[in-house]
Amino acid sequence: MRAGVRLERTAEPCVVVIFGATGDLTKRKLVPALYRLVQERLVPAEFAIVGAARTELSSEEFRANMKEAIVQFSEAKSVDEEVWESFAQGLHYQKVDIGTSEDYVKLAELLERIDGERGTQGNRVFYLSTAPSLYAEAVKQLGQSGLAKPKEGQKGWVRVIIEKPFGTDLASAQALNRDIHQHLDESQIYRIDHYLGKETVQNLLVFRFANGIYEPLWNRQYIDHVQITNAETVGVEGRGGYYEKAGVVRDMLQNHVFQVLSLVAMEPPASLNSESVRDEKIKAMTSVRPFTPERIRAECVRGQYGAGSINGKQVPGYREEEGVAPDSATETFAMLTMYFDNWRWSGVPFYIRSGKRLAKRVTEIAIQFKDAPHKLFGSEMMEQMTPNQLIIRVQPDEGITMRVAAKVPGQVTRIRDVNMDFRYGASFGMQLAEAYERLLLDCILGDPTLYARTDMTERGWEIVMPILEEWAATKSEAPFPNYEAGTWGPQATHDLLEQAGRRWRRP
Amino acid sequence: MSSEIQQGTAAKNAPQAIDVGRLEKELAASWQSAGGAEESGVTRVCVLNLIIYATREEDRAQRDELLDVVTAHTPARALVLVADREATEAKLEAYVSPLCQEESRGGAKRVCGEQVTIEASGASVETAASALEPLVVPDVPVFLWWKDIPHGEDKLFNRLVELSDRVVIDSLVFDQPHEDMQQLARIIGTHRQYLLASDLNWGRLTSWRNLVASFWDVADYRPHLDALDDVLIEYDPPDAAPDEIAAQALLLIGWMAAELKWQPTGELVREGKSARWVLQAGEGRKINVEFRPAEDRHGCDGLIATLTLKTAATDAEFYVGVNEEWTKLETSAKIGDARSVGRVVSYEAKSEGERLSRELSMLSRDEVYERAVASIARLLEVLQKS
Ligand SMILES: NC(=O)c1ccc[n+]([C@@H]2O[C@H](COP(=O)([O-])OP(=O)(O)OC[C@H]3O[C@@H](n4cnc5c(N)ncnc54)[C@H](OP(=O)(O)O)[C@@H]3O)[C@@H](O)[C@H]2O)c1
Repeated sequence: MRAGVRLERTAEPCVVVIFGATGDLTKRKLVPALYRLVQERLVPAEFAIVGAARTELSSEEFRANMKEAIVQFSEAKSVDEEVWESFAQGLHYQKVDIGTSEDYVKLAELLERIDGERGTQGNRVFYLSTAPSLYAEAVKQLGQSGLAKPKEGQKGWVRVIIEKPFGTDLASAQALNRDIHQHLDESQIYRIDHYLGKETVQNLLVFRFANGIYEPLWNRQYIDHVQITNAETVGVEGRGGYYEKAGVVRDMLQNHVFQVLSLVAMEPPASLNSESVRDEKIKAMTSVRPFTPERIRAECVRGQYGAGSINGKQVPGYREEEGVAPDSATETFAMLTMYFDNWRWSGVPFYIRSGKRLAKRVTEIAIQFKDAPHKLFGSEMMEQMTPNQLIIRVQPDEGITMRVAAKVPGQVTRIRDVNMDFRYGASFGMQLAEAYERLLLDCILGDPTLYARTDMTERGWEIVMPILEEWAATKSEAPFPNYEAGTWGPQATHDLLEQAGRRWRRP
Repeated sequence: MSSEIQQGTAAKNAPQAIDVGRLEKELAASWQSAGGAEESGVTRVCVLNLIIYATREEDRAQRDELLDVVTAHTPARALVLVADREATEAKLEAYVSPLCQEESRGGAKRVCGEQVTIEASGASVETAASALEPLVVPDVPVFLWWKDIPHGEDKLFNRLVELSDRVVIDSLVFDQPHEDMQQLARIIGTHRQYLLASDLNWGRLTSWRNLVASFWDVADYRPHLDALDDVLIEYDPPDAAPDEIAAQALLLIGWMAAELKWQPTGELVREGKSARWVLQAGEGRKINVEFRPAEDRHGCDGLIATLTLKTAATDAEFYVGVNEEWTKLETSAKIGDARSVGRVVSYEAKSEGERLSRELSMLSRDEVYERAVASIARLLEVLQKS
């Protein structure tokens, strides 16, 4: 029927069950994203949502809360009444305590009733949006109650989305993987990494492999180095207690930044199907040169912010934040120099930095090409000319910029950098889908390309473990605080690049 | 030309953060409302960031005029920081507006840049740079137009300098030219690795330097120039510092001293309002440099009126001077009794906007300027010690 008709990918009927439905993420991201999917008709009419948590709530109350949340947190800041009506009909609440088996019986009954009423055909997505300590228990309970598999004799499918963080170190991530694999196949597990839902990150694949011009240049012969910046302006925002135990390496680098990194570094996949892409990503990450204590000392920098100002406002230092120890040694900033010991990247440094309370909220990849072989034009003419750069902005303002040299109009030959700029928002004149929208839809469609596979989660931890261990062992030597809030991090990160004759870009 | 679009993010009492995301959205919306850009015939262009530091007292109309001129040459993102340091209440407000060229050329689309104005008062002035930084457009150069005396200890100045590729000042506004020049030399020295400096007052000297250098182009004059032993600079004394040598006169002598390798000797003579320095060339020749305040002329505060170079040994005299109306520069060269043909070139008054635009077209380091400033600082230092 759909052959030749220009339709977007359409999803099968299903029910999305959110564990942690009274929580922050549900109202800020998940329900607004699901609402948009309905509004954009990307999910079929046979679609329902069940919110689950310990709080006593009627479905009516839950609907009212969610309507408020959509108004508050959606881009449009309003709801379309008609769309809302049909959305709300499929919205239910069921009290579930993750540790209580009886609650799963009631949940199963409700799901069955919904299958009957709305034709959702036994297809289920369970979204675990609760504290990470409950992931394993929830999966176990789903398994034991029979909800983790389609009902005997029925077609349907069951998928489970797991929020971040996935473990707190290699051992805990491995244990969690072991636990959930007792009840779920890998093909049922969707580990979320919302960075992978960003339009630009997805486009990186297309950009690299569908564009004949870049791939031949994408190697050590033409690329001098790569910079990846992942900067937040926010501090710990009241989550000091959590952050004290995490730090930026656990919270950001090991997962999000490594996902982005692997897309830059990977070899072309045989096809763009999810397994080939994920195979190539893990292959690239496997060739990452291990960190030794010497390398950590010489090529990595940790940082923690002191007081400063952000967007014109005075902000306190990390150690003054609520829930943070006054002598805390938790890093809020990290810079790593990474190498891939493979044919393509041998000798090309990847400089990676991520931190809180930096000057600007931005995530970008900058590919710095090597200098033109002979500088034909003397230095007088090369006004401020930097080697060609390709900048892939992930957020905000997703887009791609190529920075090249051009002659300035006029009588004398003067060369100045110009930019060839491409912004998704501006170019297509449309609103970009929120990452969660894309990821939820992919899960419903059964496409795990943009989700992290077991091996990748464990490899991320494997790479950073020596750093976490070294920094924990040398806690007392951490020169904290060592950067002012609102700057680009510790001076040492600038010195490190300078020694190599390079310089951090101002994003 | 700049009509405000939206008044955004006005803080009431406590200083609040500027909502950068919202400002960017307002800007984007303003372009969309400018009508799918296509039909309305507007093209959004940003070839550089221009940070303008201005004080509250400054005339806004004058600033708008300056931005119109700049936009005509260089469509940019102008980030105007209006600072009221004396205020007791800390406040931070920001709003955006497009900056469009007067009219399209030959039916082409109108080219527009954009302006973000940040008004900061009291304690918020110090933190204002952190509000401005996220608004800087990446991948295009950042110019800072610091229309004030630069102070190396000023936190705001230092933060803005760190953000910028080039700082543009106007040493004509120096109210203590001696101290301020030394200060400037220190700032350039400190940030030299990444910072390029420009000075509108140096731009005003370009015609002078051109004419002076052209004496050296004539082979017959060289032997005389190599015997120079007397330099006279007459200038209109700056109102703000009538007893000090004007910054422009300092720049001129700093330039000559740097390029001709004249060293200070420490000798300084004051005669009435004139000052006389004794410098020394490599081969031991002494050069008397006299700075003489000329009569006060309206609108020419701090500017040089004449430059005379003489040799006692060969009785030669080279002269550059401005005419009565301050519209032309005249030169003459005289060897003994033979007067050579002089030259007259136009010396048009340029607006601040035009001068600034000129500086914005330059991206390479002005080594000559930096050497001149360093040389003045050295001369002043030796003279102060003696
Ligand atoms: N918030 C964000 O922006 C964000 C961003 C990235 C990742 N995440 C991840 O998303 C997950 C959820 O975060 P959140 O911020 O939404 O947390 P939250 O606001 O603390 O919400 C936790 C939810 O879990 C429920 N819950 C707690 N114990 C339960 C139990 N025993 N049985 C059933 N439900 C239980 C709570 O509801 P009751 O008290 O009613 O049971 C609540 O709905 C976490 O893993 C977090 O790391 C969040």
